[in-house]
Amino acid sequence: MFKLALKSLLNRKTSVILTVVAIAVSVALLLAVERVKEQVQQNFANTVSGTDLIIGPRSSQTQLLLASIFHIGSMTNAMSWDSYENIAGRDEVDWAVPISLGDSVQGLPVVATTEGYVKHYRYADKQTLNVIQGRWFADNEQAVLGAEAAKTLGLAVGDQLTIAHGSGGLSFSEHDQHPIAVVGVLARTGTPVDQAVFVSLETIETVHGIEPGSAEHADNHQHEGHEHPAESITAALLGLKVKPLALRLQREINTYEKEPLTALMPGMTLQQLWKTLNVFEQTLNGMSAIVVFIGLIGMLTILLASLRERRREMAVLRAVGAGPLTLFSLLVTEAVLVTLFATFAGLALLYTLQWSLMDFIHSQTGILFSLNLPTPAEWWRMGLVVIAGFLLSLIPAWRAYRQSLSDGLTVKV
Amino acid sequence: MSAAIELDKVRFSWSSQVPIIDIDHWRVDCGDTLLLRGASGSGKSTLLSLLAGINKPQRGEICLLGSDITRLSARQRDKFRADHIGYIFQQFNLLPYLSAHENVLLGVHFSALRRQRLTQSATQTATDYLSRLGLSKQQQQQPAAVLSVGQQQRVAAARALIGAPEILIADEPTSALDTEHRDVFIKLLLELSQANNTTVVFVTHDATLAGHFNTHTELSQLNPLPQTASAGGSNV
Ligand SMILES: Nc1ncnc2c1ncn2[C@@H]1O[C@H](COP(=O)(O)OP(=O)(O)O)[C@@H](O)[C@H]1O
Ligand SMILES: [Mg+2]
Repeated sequence: MFKLALKSLLNRKTSVILTVVAIAVSVALLLAVERVKEQVQQNFANTVSGTDLIIGPRSSQTQLLLASIFHIGSMTNAMSWDSYENIAGRDEVDWAVPISLGDSVQGLPVVATTEGYVKHYRYADKQTLNVIQGRWFADNEQAVLGAEAAKTLGLAVGDQLTIAHGSGGLSFSEHDQHPIAVVGVLARTGTPVDQAVFVSLETIETVHGIEPGSAEHADNHQHEGHEHPAESITAALLGLKVKPLALRLQREINTYEKEPLTALMPGMTLQQLWKTLNVFEQTLNGMSAIVVFIGLIGMLTILLASLRERRREMAVLRAVGAGPLTLFSLLVTEAVLVTLFATFAGLALLYTLQWSLMDFIHSQTGILFSLNLPTPAEWWRMGLVVIAGFLLSLIPAWRAYRQSLSDGLTVKV
Repeated sequence: MSAAIELDKVRFSWSSQVPIIDIDHWRVDCGDTLLLRGASGSGKSTLLSLLAGINKPQRGEICLLGSDITRLSARQRDKFRADHIGYIFQQFNLLPYLSAHENVLLGVHFSALRRQRLTQSATQTATDYLSRLGLSKQQQQQPAAVLSVGQQQRVAAARALIGAPEILIADEPTSALDTEHRDVFIKLLLELSQANNTTVVFVTHDATLAGHFNTHTELSQLNPLPQTASAGGSNV
């Protein structure tokens, strides 16, 4: 039966191959949507861990999260150093790392921060950042590069770079008068850290032409003899001594009186982000499901069309002893073979695409698509396609059954 | 001599109204070779589909090899056909996407019984049959569609006879052949059947073939119906 179905399909190579291609492409699409979602989610969730709160100027939580951790988009406002110090100095705060964004090196984001970043930033399963070459910056006019940034810029420890104001590509206002020395390169993390260039807050102030610590403030400094490294910052990462206090502190910061601020818990905000993206994902899913369905309808069409010309074939099979049910299962077998084959071809196509685009996507988005075995969700989708193919095949199979009953051996051609 | 085929008061009509088959009694002995002649549209193919168990008469008994197939379910009749009957059509006997050799193997594909009867492997038997019918080894491996009509009919004969079924039914198998090929074909067919002791029911509208067969029966005598449908009858 299997062999018969296979040979019969091979006999109709052209139309069968076209159908297989159509279904394979649609299956690849269906799987790609799932895979992209899965891996983006994985990558995003892996990007920040161990940070209890992120604070910044008043904005949407999503915007603050995307800007501070993923270096996507920008913050229109800034948060004053005073507010930062105030919050960082609270009892429940274990550590605080200020971040100032908005500049770039040949299109790569510059993250101005402190030594605290390399100490406290965690990604994936609470992994720390590793400086594999050189060391973390200790002084002004020094920079540390993410793994991918070092590769893109072609710089290593000992080289120099210049920072451009703004996040554009090759900026017009490069500050050539401030050459900055590369003193360290970080190990690859698979997070946006890889794309970033890290400098001290003071460095960025100098680049902007402001003398660090020169700004006058109404409030008195809390730490005497300690100058402000910056007048204002974009955001700050906080670690708390007692994690459950995050919710309360978040509420307090969101209602901070001296300045409109936003605080977010990374995990919660990511979840909200998924909810927003969910609609988008569902739409893509729906569309790829429709494409798969169209592919299967194509298969249905060639099977139905073939029935008329195969009436003789059916009569021959009946003459050698096949019952109508045998013909029914012959057609089902053909359809299931086509869908099975097409589904695996689709899977192969997906891996090929992923493999060839992996580096490109990583360098563009920082998202690393790992070549894993299909996940249960993906198997499930493939299973659904095959089941759909099977169900649709019942139509031509039923037709063949009826036809062979009424034709018997006396086919009129 | 026992009966290979015995019909008793068989009546069959396609769509209710006029019966196309109404046979009071008909018997074919085992090992007989019979030519059944009838005009186009007289119901020859219809009668054969009853014998093959594809269709069931509305009335009467059809005993093949001692069992009444009208009492069998459709499924059992399919099984019976696979086991005991070889069938040859007028033309288009083969699956075009299989080789001649594979088409012959189809003859035992649906019957374990016929496979058991083989004295050597099915592959070897098919090769032997086709060689005896004059197909070269190379032609045997070609797709059936590229063979000439005469060769296709011989492949059909090999398929119908492989595994030694007790009954061979041939529905105008030579009407697409020219005279010369026709006589050679019938000779080969009868030779192979006799070797297997197969009963042959050979249907045709051509009375000149009668010389090849032991028995000659006219359908009009067997089935004395007012042939209302014959005028527009087709010749399938
Ligand atoms: N499958 C069928 N369904 C309905 N009517 C049929 C079918 N096969 C044959 N007939 C009718 O039965 C009559 C006899 O046909 P057939 O048995 O093929 O004659 P013959 O083989 O002697 O030429 C014709 O009128 C034909 O239209
Ligand atoms: Mg006929």
